[in-house]
Amino acid sequence: MTMDIATYLVYLSISIALTVWVAHTLHKNGRVFLVDVFHGNESLADSVNHLLVVGFYLINLGWICLILKLGYAIASPKESIEALSVKIGTVLLVLGGMHFFNLLIFSRMRRRATMRNAPPPVYPDAFTPVQEV
Amino acid sequence: MAPLTILYDPACGLCRRVHGWLADQPKFFELNLLPIKSDSARRRFPELNHDLTAEDLTVITNKGAVYFGPKAWLMVLWALPHYRDWSYRLASPELLPTTKRVVSLISRSRYQISGAAGRAR
Repeated sequence: MTMDIATYLVYLSISIALTVWVAHTLHKNGRVFLVDVFHGNESLADSVNHLLVVGFYLINLGWICLILKLGYAIASPKESIEALSVKIGTVLLVLGGMHFFNLLIFSRMRRRATMRNAPPPVYPDAFTPVQEV
Repeated sequence: MAPLTILYDPACGLCRRVHGWLADQPKFFELNLLPIKSDSARRRFPELNHDLTAEDLTVITNKGAVYFGPKAWLMVLWALPHYRDWSYRLASPELLPTTKRVVSLISRSRYQISGAAGRAR
């Protein structure tokens, strides 16, 4: 096995492992948010959570595949480590960006849900009896 | 707190326009629109000063809390999911004085505005 192939394999295994780890974290900790957003409707929360994680996987794995190609031959272990570092660094930054984007979605959804029960913006000027008709 | 009753002036074109716009908006809860000084308004709020409602928009909750003028407009925004954000923003201490001035100006000149827009009062 040449050093290029070895570098690619190491790159793929580390990137995929990182994606799985971040997706797992999102899935586990995002659930609480979503259950709150959907007023305790757990099956709906689980469903949305699952769909979000699928999107997360697709975008990240797609990105990992796209940037796989190095474009030059690896001659030494030193070069291999340098190339790996650049590639995995890029993957980590994209993962980080995606992660914060997901958090943003969660907090948006939650904010919208709490808005629904928010009190009036101003105090009343007076009170009057209401006759039910 | 649930439905709001809005007492509006059916004689003003601008108010009828807003009335139509309101009908198309998504709402958090039911909005009950009653013309000012109408029998149904008097029946529902027997102790309210109905002459005052002719001066500016009035919003009343089903618990009897009365919001008048600029506050009533804020309550209308508050009832709409797309504008609830704005009701808080406009009611903030920094913006409330401006909100009150602008809304009062519009309310006072509502017949002129309606006329300028080519609508009969």
